[in-house]
Amino acid sequence: MRESAAGCGAGGSSIRVEGLRFSYPGSSTEALRGVDLEFRQGAFHALVGRNGSGKSTLARCMNALLPPSAGRVLSCGIDSASAPDRREIHKRVAMVFQDPDTQMVGSTVEEEVAFGPENLGLEPAEIRRRVDGALDRVGIVHLAGRQPARLSQGQKQLVAIAGALAMEPSFLISDESTSMLDYTSRRKVVELFMELTSAGIGIVHVTHFLEEAALADSVVILDGGAVAGRGAPAEVLSDPVRLRELGLDPLAVTLVAYELRRAGHQVPGDVLDVKELVSWLYA
Amino acid sequence: MALRLSLENVHYSYPLPGREDAPALTGADLAVEPGEVLCVAGSNGSGKSTLAQVCAGLLLPDSGEVLYGDAPVEGRAGLREFRSKVSLLFQSSEDQLFADTVAKDIAFGPKNHGLRGGELEEAVRRACALVGLSLEELGSRSPFSLSGGEKRRAALAGVLAMDPEVLVLDEPFIGLDHTGRELLKSTLERYREERGASVVIVTHELSDAWGLAERFALLSGGRLLKVEDKSDLLSGEVELSSLGMKLPQWGELVRELLGSGIAVTDPSDPRMIAGAMASFREARGE
Amino acid sequence: MSDRDITIGQYMAKDTALHRVDPRLKFAAVAVGVVMIFIYSGWAMVAFSVLLLAVLAVARLPLLAVLRSLRTVWVILVVTFLLQVFLTPGEVIWQWGFLSVTDTGLYNGALFSARVVLLVILLAALTMTTPPLALADGLESILRPLRYLKVPVTRVTTVVSITLMFIPNILEQSRRLVKAQTARGADFESANVLRRVKDILPVLVPLFVKVFHDADELAVAMDSRAYSGGEGRTRLRPLKIGPVEAVLTAAFAAASVALVLL
Repeated sequence: MRESAAGCGAGGSSIRVEGLRFSYPGSSTEALRGVDLEFRQGAFHALVGRNGSGKSTLARCMNALLPPSAGRVLSCGIDSASAPDRREIHKRVAMVFQDPDTQMVGSTVEEEVAFGPENLGLEPAEIRRRVDGALDRVGIVHLAGRQPARLSQGQKQLVAIAGALAMEPSFLISDESTSMLDYTSRRKVVELFMELTSAGIGIVHVTHFLEEAALADSVVILDGGAVAGRGAPAEVLSDPVRLRELGLDPLAVTLVAYELRRAGHQVPGDVLDVKELVSWLYA
Repeated sequence: MALRLSLENVHYSYPLPGREDAPALTGADLAVEPGEVLCVAGSNGSGKSTLAQVCAGLLLPDSGEVLYGDAPVEGRAGLREFRSKVSLLFQSSEDQLFADTVAKDIAFGPKNHGLRGGELEEAVRRACALVGLSLEELGSRSPFSLSGGEKRRAALAGVLAMDPEVLVLDEPFIGLDHTGRELLKSTLERYREERGASVVIVTHELSDAWGLAERFALLSGGRLLKVEDKSDLLSGEVELSSLGMKLPQWGELVRELLGSGIAVTDPSDPRMIAGAMASFREARGE
Repeated sequence: MSDRDITIGQYMAKDTALHRVDPRLKFAAVAVGVVMIFIYSGWAMVAFSVLLLAVLAVARLPLLAVLRSLRTVWVILVVTFLLQVFLTPGEVIWQWGFLSVTDTGLYNGALFSARVVLLVILLAALTMTTPPLALADGLESILRPLRYLKVPVTRVTTVVSITLMFIPNILEQSRRLVKAQTARGADFESANVLRRVKDILPVLVPLFVKVFHDADELAVAMDSRAYSGGEGRTRLRPLKIGPVEAVLTAAFAAASVALVLL
């Protein structure tokens, strides 16, 4: 697959969210209450928060699926509200959803992956190149002729990711794409995300698994439609008391480290990993 | 008080027109002991949902037997009797609410079982209290106006209102956040204690049932491999990753500590683990 | 998963000449077929049935799966057959109380039933050999002229394709809901019709809610992949009318029409 990440162009290689507010029609409460964030291309960003914190809404605003009520979203320099053609955003920022069954349109895997490029009005030869490239990148070339409905959950989600990659986007937004998958499939997806970042694609992964968030380059915590924490995983995920306040389930390791610190022991504050904590025993 | 629920050599296949049947269970053996919390864990497509439905008498095995107590579940009357004792909370149960008010929805099950008047009201009230829904506040509202977590709790209340002796739950934790999970766990714990009921949690995520279940039945390719207690899982005899699963981080930590000779009795209590680690380090320092 | 396979006229991916035929040609052929089915009687109808069976064979569609589509219309079939049989005047063959069966009635009943059956098979052959997206694209290009009459063609075809894609979803959801309500003591096996009708409500309400929700999700997913109807859309395998397909379709249409002359 040709490296596709060049696509952002002169407008800057990031998604900038500026003073973003959003209310769903008919709802009296704001789903997003002034969010300022920047997501870089070529990095793996995790977006976490309790149910109803605004994660999915933010994800959809970044893909121009929802128009901001106030503030703006600049994807690769293009303002999602004033873009002449939303396709310009969809080309650069692709999206994968939670339930693979409600995002499939094709009758075969190949047709499914081709759907996006077909909508972009590309030549058949170019569509072919993109489909083959995306299937290869995700490692499912052997599934090309199969019917999506007959695949396993994990395979279906990989097909959905291939469908997003065939748009050759600069960013891939995953809206809880791993939450219905078992551990093996989930790990495959997260590893794929990490590979994609080294190919220059920016990943924004909405998840409630803090173990996945711990693998990201940066983590954003949302609560009540506002940013409640941001930074490297070691900074954001290591305070179990704060995480509980935000409705999140702290990692076991951080809970034990916290108890050790309370008992007066000197444990480094950024431990997220089992091996690291155990090595403290011998430090 | 619940009786022992057991499956003996159960086979079940889904018929596919024009092709070979798709086997979902291929000789499953399982015993749910009275009053226990059992976790049935397996990857996507391992036959979990089929097993849950067989356990609740909603799918009848092609061969093999389901027994409640010592009696096999047979015939229409036997099946009906069995279904009145064993209830299943389906996957995405929040999508199954239908009545115009929450209270009516919760009353649906017990009403079908013949409860009326004061008895029915009492069943609804008790179920609401168990799941932590305020009947006064939400009872007369439409179930569609509730939040996702509240809907899930209303659906659970609808099942608990039937007062089952055995409660089977298919992926009850999917989509719940930390608060929702903790609420569900405490509800299940309380129901088991008050009712002496058995609870079967069917999930693809061991961490969901970690602090709750004593025994774990591992399902793979339509067959139950093994029923283990937590210490078996921690000793690592079964290669969980080959079954598409993983120990929760709690388990990984405790397993690592065991490698250093530190034994912990409760593998989900941070204070106890921290204490054991601290004394190990002190002992080394001396 | 397996529940998905038991569906009405659901697309079956296979590589046959019929699968490759341009959907626009198929629409044309089906249109001819539908008209002819209502004109046919007697031997022409029998001959057309044979022709249709040949088409199914070319498309390698299992007859059983095709006939299963009839399950959706069997009530209409039985009711109309009985109405025809009992209410058509003619020479009485059999009498029981006020009910009388006439020869014309029997003939009309059989003819009418045969028409319904052939129609269903014809439409099933179309949907089973054409992916929903291709159907939508074909329909869109046929309906394109209607745009000048301000008909929102793209929207209509998008709705048609989403509906087709959702048939398996709806069937699966309803099966799940029936089971979930059975678990709550609803009695779908009861012989009591009133009770069964009453028990359908707990299935219908959540079914609609869920299907609308899923359809909305699908629409969002399609939107995020730059779908805006057929306009400006290209195809990995462009629709094209090749010589083989054109000949096949022409032969089918010609044969259908010729049968009238029998």
